[in-house]
Amino acid sequence: MAVQNLIETHNLTKRYGKTLSVNTLNMKVPPGAVYGFLGPNGAGKSTTLKMVLGLVRPSAGAITLFGSPMDEKNRIYLLADTGSLIESPSYYGHLSGEENLHIIQTLKGCTKSDVDEVLKIVRLTDARNKLVGHYSLGMKQRLGLAAALLGFPKLLILDEPTNGLDPAGIQEMRELICSLPTEYGITVVVSSHLLSEIDQMADHVGIIRKGELVYQNTLESLHAHAKEQLALRVSNLTIAADLLRQDGIETQQEEGWLLLPMLEDALAAKLIRNLIEQNISLYRIEQRETSLEDIFLTLTGKESSL
Amino acid sequence: MKTLQLEFYKIRRRNVWLSMFAMLGIQILWGQWSMRNPKDWELESGWMSLLYSLTVLDGLMMPTIMSLLASRLADIEHKGNTYKQLKTLRSAASLYHAKALCGTVILTVLLASQAAVFILYGYYLGYEGNPDPRYYLLAYGLKFASCLSLFLLQLLLSMYFANQMIPLVIGLGGSMVALFVMFVSNYSFLPWGGILSSSLVGMDWDQTSSIIIYFYRDYSKAETAAVICIFIWVFVFYAAGRRLFTRREA
Repeated sequence: MAVQNLIETHNLTKRYGKTLSVNTLNMKVPPGAVYGFLGPNGAGKSTTLKMVLGLVRPSAGAITLFGSPMDEKNRIYLLADTGSLIESPSYYGHLSGEENLHIIQTLKGCTKSDVDEVLKIVRLTDARNKLVGHYSLGMKQRLGLAAALLGFPKLLILDEPTNGLDPAGIQEMRELICSLPTEYGITVVVSSHLLSEIDQMADHVGIIRKGELVYQNTLESLHAHAKEQLALRVSNLTIAADLLRQDGIETQQEEGWLLLPMLEDALAAKLIRNLIEQNISLYRIEQRETSLEDIFLTLTGKESSL
Repeated sequence: MKTLQLEFYKIRRRNVWLSMFAMLGIQILWGQWSMRNPKDWELESGWMSLLYSLTVLDGLMMPTIMSLLASRLADIEHKGNTYKQLKTLRSAASLYHAKALCGTVILTVLLASQAAVFILYGYYLGYEGNPDPRYYLLAYGLKFASCLSLFLLQLLLSMYFANQMIPLVIGLGGSMVALFVMFVSNYSFLPWGGILSSSLVGMDWDQTSSIIIYFYRDYSKAETAAVICIFIWVFVFYAAGRRLFTRREA
């Protein structure tokens, strides 16, 4: 039996005037995943997530949440099992952290003990009675996450959750997000413009570029795209290439380097010995890898910012 | 109901009640000053003069007070960027209704307190007889509708504009409009002239004796139309505010 995706979008499109912000996007978020939604700034990540949450009306296309098509009538019912943190945290600065969570707790209909637990998870227990207006940006961000976690929903949608956090806070947030599927059974959609961040958190990835989903699969599969090569710097590229071709190895020349496919150690040793015996001087040998960053840049366009 | 309760919870420490009752305090100070040595004829027509004076005061003050009330209720959401979270938990219409109802409850308490305080004050000063409940109930009913139309207009503006200076300046401008209306006519179809238009008491001032004669007004056709207009404004501002808020994307 096919596993039902928690979120599915079908040709989801959002147009602002003449600008196409999201273009026929088909997102699929499987249960139990940490789905990294990756793309450069302005690619349409926030707009897509806002459409999924019903905060922005799609110009075309449809959204299925927990297997049910979402419309204006059932939107709030379906969203009851979600938590979200979009762009920046929402808060009442004149109320304490606990009072802020009380508001969400009442609206979500969850218990007081949930408030205590989420405060503990985001390490705000000691600051629960402090006015949120006096919180640091990082604390506000954590409070936003606590509000999203209240009631421990099936689906958590986090838009750039590490914004404004210090490096330690970023690390903590990553660890927390990674632990949510296993510890609480929460599926997480997390957006970011930073590949390294998604690489460390997600197991599924969707890459959006200029409103279009250019890649969607497991992160493992994306890693498989990463290509390993051997690079040789030798005294005569042409002769070396000919000699290697005689041994059945196809090569490429690039900026004074000879690029070979990844070889077994024994074969690599044999070929190098052959080159030396043919009086080819070997200056350098490197093992090269097409990084995820290169793949990301290829998918999203090199002009896009990281 | 929960959403309405939360509106009151959210305005904790915002001194909303204090700012509303400050208006009542100003009116009490005015009452004390204007009636420090009441003459016999003033005590004789005390209950009518009270209705008239409160209508004039409210006519001038309420546009500003209602803008302040609406702004205090709405700006907490703008400051904390909360609509994008709240709209995932409740429908936009429900959130709008909660805000509108919260303001309506505060307005009701404010007007009821005003009536109670000034009726007690009238007895304390020794106004002759008793206030006529039919006129007082009708006057406060009409005043409530006029204030509600102003509040709904201001709520629409305050929920739409993140910068609260815009609705506050419009509210203050409304008070100026009311002052202008008071000088040029007995009625106005503008929302800011509603309180003055619906006044049940009129007055004649005898220049030679300096005696003011109060009387219950008989509305002309135009004045009746101006009073009906108050209810049209209530509906228009409610419908416009609801539509604007529910259609707006977060």
